[in-house]
Amino acid sequence: MKIAINLLQALILILGAPLLRGIIGRIKAWIQRRQGASIWSPYADLVKLFRKEDLVPPSASWVFRFAPRVLFGTAVCVAAFVPVVQPSALLASRGDFFLLAYLLALGRFFLSLGGMDGGSALGGMGASREALISSLAEAPFLLGLVAVAILAGHADIAGMVAWTLRQNIFNISAVHILAFTSLAMVVIAETGRMPVDNPTTHLELTMIHEAMVLEYSGPSLALVESASAIKFHTMVALLIALFAPWGMATSVSVWSIAAALLLYFLKAAVLMGLLAVVESGVAKLRMYLVPDFLGVASAVSALAVIFTMLAKR
Amino acid sequence: MGLVEIATGKVLSSFSVFLFLTVLLLVVARRISTCILLFSVQSAIIAAEVFATGFQERLAEAYVVGALVFVIKVVAIPRAFFLLVDRLKTSRDVKASTTPTQSVFIAVAMIYLSYAAVHSYGQAVHVPEDALAAAVALILTGAFLMVSRRKALMQMLGLLVLENGIFLAALTTTFGMPDLTGDFCAR
Amino acid sequence: MQPGSTELAFVSVLIVLGLVVPLVLAASRTKGARTLAVALILVSCLAGCFVAALGFWRGSGFLLTFSGVTPFPFSLTIDRLSAFFLLLICTVAAPVAIFAFTYFDHHYGEQRRNWMWAFFSLFLLSMIVVVAASSGFAFLVGWELMTLLSAGLILMEGDSAERRHNVLIYLLMMHAGAAAVVASFFLFLPYSHSLDFGAIRAAGALVPAGIRILIFLLAFVGFGTKAGIIPLHLWLPRAHPIAPSPVSALMSGVMLKTAVYGFVRFTFYFLAGGPWWSGYLVLLVGAVSGLLGVLYAIAEHDLKRLLAYHSVENIGIIYLGLGTSLLFLAHHAPIWAALALIAALLHTFNHALFKSLLFLGAGSISHATHTVDLEELGGLQRRMPVTGTAFLIACCSIVGLPLFNGFISEWLTFRSFLAGSILTNTKAQIILPLMVGILALIGGLAAACFVKVFGVAFLGRPRSAEAEQAIEVPVPMRVGMAALAAACLLIGILPGLLLRPLASLCQVLIPGAGVPKEILMIARIIPWTAAVVLGAMALTALFKRAQKKVPTWACGLPQLTSRMQYTSTAFSKPIRFVFSAVYRPDRKIDRLPADQPYFPASISYRSARTTSYEKTLYRPFVDFIVAAAHRLRRLQTGNIQVYLLYIFLTLVSLLVYLRFVR
Repeated sequence: MKIAINLLQALILILGAPLLRGIIGRIKAWIQRRQGASIWSPYADLVKLFRKEDLVPPSASWVFRFAPRVLFGTAVCVAAFVPVVQPSALLASRGDFFLLAYLLALGRFFLSLGGMDGGSALGGMGASREALISSLAEAPFLLGLVAVAILAGHADIAGMVAWTLRQNIFNISAVHILAFTSLAMVVIAETGRMPVDNPTTHLELTMIHEAMVLEYSGPSLALVESASAIKFHTMVALLIALFAPWGMATSVSVWSIAAALLLYFLKAAVLMGLLAVVESGVAKLRMYLVPDFLGVASAVSALAVIFTMLAKR
Repeated sequence: MGLVEIATGKVLSSFSVFLFLTVLLLVVARRISTCILLFSVQSAIIAAEVFATGFQERLAEAYVVGALVFVIKVVAIPRAFFLLVDRLKTSRDVKASTTPTQSVFIAVAMIYLSYAAVHSYGQAVHVPEDALAAAVALILTGAFLMVSRRKALMQMLGLLVLENGIFLAALTTTFGMPDLTGDFCAR
Repeated sequence: MQPGSTELAFVSVLIVLGLVVPLVLAASRTKGARTLAVALILVSCLAGCFVAALGFWRGSGFLLTFSGVTPFPFSLTIDRLSAFFLLLICTVAAPVAIFAFTYFDHHYGEQRRNWMWAFFSLFLLSMIVVVAASSGFAFLVGWELMTLLSAGLILMEGDSAERRHNVLIYLLMMHAGAAAVVASFFLFLPYSHSLDFGAIRAAGALVPAGIRILIFLLAFVGFGTKAGIIPLHLWLPRAHPIAPSPVSALMSGVMLKTAVYGFVRFTFYFLAGGPWWSGYLVLLVGAVSGLLGVLYAIAEHDLKRLLAYHSVENIGIIYLGLGTSLLFLAHHAPIWAALALIAALLHTFNHALFKSLLFLGAGSISHATHTVDLEELGGLQRRMPVTGTAFLIACCSIVGLPLFNGFISEWLTFRSFLAGSILTNTKAQIILPLMVGILALIGGLAAACFVKVFGVAFLGRPRSAEAEQAIEVPVPMRVGMAALAAACLLIGILPGLLLRPLASLCQVLIPGAGVPKEILMIARIIPWTAAVVLGAMALTALFKRAQKKVPTWACGLPQLTSRMQYTSTAFSKPIRFVFSAVYRPDRKIDRLPADQPYFPASISYRSARTTSYEKTLYRPFVDFIVAAAHRLRRLQTGNIQVYLLYIFLTLVSLLVYLRFVR
């Protein structure tokens, strides 16, 4: 029964990912006093893309078509790591966050290669900028999770979530506040949201993530888009599970699962709202200021690790 | 427990981490107006701290002090600063002599140093370590801002942050904070 | 298997490599002789693998003494540690030999080919002697031979003045390191009364603390010079790029590992852990080597120099694991020390595999296009599919991506850092988890670098005529690369094969350690992860649609040219900009004619990079030595009476010493 629920969790993360995109777009549109597209429009986009042809540059090799598949495969695998409604997931009891981070790196590696295979200048530009940002974002991501893991005494994600679930919600821990700050900054950088990257830009010279996928079309583009959405959803779910998991079902009953699901959607919606406000409120950072942004995230996560030691004294 | 008790308990046990966050943001900020805002947020946290202490210890003078801190440091001084920025018509840039990455790592080192410094003292006297460490960190940050920012306005702000730190240190050691050393950073 | 037959197999390996192959090659210059020689080398590599496998998996070791025959005690042993490194040497040497069979034929004339194979075989022999040595004499003989033979192999490639200068620097630094190693061996002598490894280990407890510190430091410096830690790595980017590619593969893949073997042998087997600060020192050196190595690599566009700097980076990662292990040992946590040591040793093995594969790939590229400059390559994946795929597997492995072997050792290193949080010493409690950040940064930068390498060299469009006309390399070269790539994938998906025997090995080196549970964890989760990823990828095959070839949009221009792509220098520019404090390039812009700055006839731009430690560390050191030598020269006046005066003064002072001081 537990395995069925874990499977359900993974399916929610995978299938619900475009919905999150739709919700953010709708909230941003509301902030900008526009009508905005329907929250189900990303699904329609994906269906449309799957029906189109796959256009491939003549100079591209097999890596070009292979890269979106690897990206999708790793995104799906990462979705199996994160608990949503109960403190366990398909691979979470033995899989730890190092494996999660490096699976994401595997997808990114192949996507960058795919960008360079197009043979255009913009693909290389996107790959080069993505390389800069992702190389600097690894350290704060892992350090923030290390800080939480040290407090929890577990390195596997299920153990960390279960530990947080046992804590009193009103005892805010300094380590958690600092780790959340740095992880939020890293999630913004890794998933290409403002202020690091504007996901809705049309100007190629301002793109980071989008520039790598300019040459993709049809099913390949659909795979890339859905993989990005799944990655975003998984990161959001990871943040919620690690820092605000209260409400997760501790017993295997339909009512508790349903309640946990509802609570999860509420938390996700709140987080989306916050993100939409931030996205509409701040301007995109100049690319050479992004290392400073990530440097602040690194220092905050290093401070979180230092505080784990101070807390134990 | 009443809601107010819970709230004051929370404020007292977790305010120092928010002060550390303001410290980190202060050394990174690039515009003078952001720094002024951070300073007023910092002073607001300290004012809330004073009120919470007054509520816990049932000291009437604490409320007066808290109100004074609020009026002067959260409202009046920042307003004066904003007026100055407008009048001087100077550029809004902070003109730091260290890059944000270097500044923030220096800030982390200062926070660690302040903990190391108060560790032995905090155990001898029954003072919550975190509050005193936050005070020392504020003092160090104020000094750092004065040293590494080339605008006169920023140096004035640095002095005010330093003064915030001294005030917090005085508050911690004299009003006597309730013994909450165990609650903070709960495992 | 009879116990005697493994010894027989091992001795026959030594004899074949040392005597038979050179004799065969000296006897005749025909292709048949060379084929026979290579076949013999392969057979001895396989026999060596077999011997090593018995020693490593089953733990059946042996000891061979030749002391009757040689002037100094010379004995060889295969215990678990030697067996592991012997396995490493033979597993890498076999594919490299297959590759070199065709490579040497195409690149060297008649004269040199036989010499190269003879040196190759003796080089292998010297490395086997080093890891199998059981007496100090055997170790040092093998050590010196390694250096001399590799220098000989480099000089076989060509004899220009610049080459000789680089080889001279290589030899000088290697000899300085060897002197330190010799000194550390001899410091044991008063306590162990022999240089036999068993006697030294028994005497390890008797050595006083001050001498232990000195031995540790000398071993650290001596083996560190050979391993290539910063700042002793100056020879690495000079020697590795100028060697022939299969030899570079052996040097970078295997020879550096013998230095790691020596260091592990000294600190864990002889000294049972260094002084309490040794872990911090090794951690610091590992972190600096890793970071600076990868940063210098990113700035390179010569493929072989780039790979040489990556060797520095990976040695840094290995030293991070070794430092963590020493730190845990000093704090009496043997099981975590074992975990860190397993991580370091596994990374040694993995690095040997994927680094040699990378160098073989560079050799294939140079075979096909006659250049290893990244700026001249491009689009090679379509023209050299097997080389490209093997090189891609090696790139994924060195970056440490899951499902490839590099990930396993990096994961174990991360977990050993995380385990540091349970220590009670506050310094170690913070420093070890913070090392996670440093290793993550190193890994991220390595990923950026290899996206650049593979993307610029193999993907996109060819940037030069040679790259356009590249053809796939001959079959033996492909076979060699494919074998190494398959090994990388095998260990990446089934790491338990190596991890369990490594755990037993560490139980020998670190008394009191059990099997860390992380070993079982990773051995179980990786196949599942692989299944999920590959399953999801297979699912995407359902969405295949017809593929149409359409030229890339060129922003309105009629056609994209290959010059419009990102070059290697352009790719690394953002990272070089962010880390500009490390690079400090010298830039010179000349406008001619000089008196008309605004209307120049020509502008030339020159950018050179001397690494900062060369300027601040080596230059002053060298200048100081030269100045001191000049001052000492005044003692040599050339006047015979002054020399007689020196002898007279020595005699007088000895008499004074005897009379008044004693």
